Amino acid sequence: MPFNRKPQKFNAAIKTVEIGTGDKKVTLGGENVFPFYAFDGEIANGPKVGVEISDLGLENEVPGVKAYYEGAASIGEVAKKAAEMEGADFVCLRLEGGDPNGANKSVEELVAAAKEVADAIDAPLVVEGCKNVEKDSELLAKVAEALQGKNVLLLSAREENYKAVGAAAGLAYDQKVGAESAVDINLAKQLNVVTTQLGVKPESIVMNVGSASVGYGYEYVVSTLDRIKAAALSQDDKMLQMPIITPVASETWGVKEAMAEEEDAPEWGSREERGISMEIQTAAASLAAGSDAVILKHPQSVATISKMIQALV
Amino acid sequence: MAKFVTIGERIHCISPVIREAFATRNPEPILKRAKEQLDAGATYLDVNIGPAENDGEDLMKWAVKLLQENFDNVPLALDTANRKAIEAGISVYNRSKGKPIVNSADAGGRIENIDLAAANDAIVIALCSAEGIAADNDERMVHCQTMLERGMEHGMDPADLWFDPLFLVVKGMQDKQMEVLEAIKMFSDMGLNSTGGLSNNSNGMPKAIRPIMDSALVAMAMMQGLTSAIVNPCDLRLMETIKSCDVFKGNTLYADSYLEL
Repeated sequence: MPFNRKPQKFNAAIKTVEIGTGDKKVTLGGENVFPFYAFDGEIANGPKVGVEISDLGLENEVPGVKAYYEGAASIGEVAKKAAEMEGADFVCLRLEGGDPNGANKSVEELVAAAKEVADAIDAPLVVEGCKNVEKDSELLAKVAEALQGKNVLLLSAREENYKAVGAAAGLAYDQKVGAESAVDINLAKQLNVVTTQLGVKPESIVMNVGSASVGYGYEYVVSTLDRIKAAALSQDDKMLQMPIITPVASETWGVKEAMAEEEDAPEWGSREERGISMEIQTAAASLAAGSDAVILKHPQSVATISKMIQALV
Repeated sequence: MAKFVTIGERIHCISPVIREAFATRNPEPILKRAKEQLDAGATYLDVNIGPAENDGEDLMKWAVKLLQENFDNVPLALDTANRKAIEAGISVYNRSKGKPIVNSADAGGRIENIDLAAANDAIVIALCSAEGIAADNDERMVHCQTMLERGMEHGMDPADLWFDPLFLVVKGMQDKQMEVLEAIKMFSDMGLNSTGGLSNNSNGMPKAIRPIMDSALVAMAMMQGLTSAIVNPCDLRLMETIKSCDVFKGNTLYADSYLEL
């Protein structure tokens, strides 16, 4: 009997969300096939790769990252280099210095940094808060206001502060809202429901459904991504059809495989190579499970993942 | 598994308001009832124009266009004994939101409605009866087989025949209820879709009782594998039960606001 190819077609698609403006803007989502199932149908917009930079500078980075940004004195110059990185589609500024338990920078200072970055690049910008719910409520709202017209994505609105972040980013200043849940598929859906009930358009929401480094409970991340894509496409669940962004670097560079110095674990080899390996593996797995964008840090990871996407889409 | 399909039954010419609206081509009462049902969560709307022997074709075309133009091509079940009217309705039907449903065929005098559905790439509700109610499930399943074969002979996808076991009224036929539920399980085991006029079970009961009986029956029937029902979607208790059963069956993903979706 001859082989009879039966493409798996869905009468549903992931919504498209645009970030940025002008020639460099990117479109996330739009696909109506499973991740990289290009044999079932054309993939409207391939997954995108973002480059993470931090308001805390480069002090704690591995030599390869430091070398890439050599000569960049200000956050604006760092951002410029990040935007020019081979394979980069957008830049993600992490305002981790806002953490009250850390550097505890003022909102004004952080907004100024965000403004400097936004003015320095014409690539699309994602701004991530400091993960402190109260601080982010104020910080992300102020960033949304300061960057009006830039069409940035703000990470993230969570269960505890979706009203403040969602209202500022999605309603008042017409930016894009990241809805973040921690590897909890029911909460991921619920957050989209309540954010849209707030009045935010579904086309303005990107989900961050949580992440982990490979080897650190990562199976839950994969099964969450898998189930969301399945419900979005096969059950036409409109409240799960928002594209997904996964911050990878912030997870993988903090685990012991990427942290342990060579003198402490000589049998593991080069620390930097281990870190890159963790970053690439986690990003590749997240994309294969359904993420529409990943955020990475090391130039080698960005180039590798970008090549992988081009080869598969 | 796909979500349970509710077919809203409230555009029915047995209602004096609707009959009058059909006769005078007055859109308002029809649009009002359509909106109520869609807001309440109906997927399909049934359009029952009665026997419509005189102007059925014109009337069905008018009703299909009216509803689809006003409600984003809402999918419809075309419900009349007038076959020409069903064909006329399909001729103006937009299928972007779902195929039209022919309501209905049986294994007796109305078996040709299966041919009609096949010729028009429509879904057909296949009543498992011929002349009168089936005496038992042996007879129901014979009718089911007859109609399934008829559809397949005409090139239909078996998924487009929605088998109706014929829900029976509790007051008078209480002893037959489990048999109806077993028939649904048999359809389901064969991989077939099913539907039916579920509220028939509570005919003649006090108004306050009916939603309770209907909800209990829909839960039991969904457990047996029922994939659709013709219901009053404005019955909140019933719709809440269906949405909850969809969660248990994995047909929809749970979120705290699931009843609002």
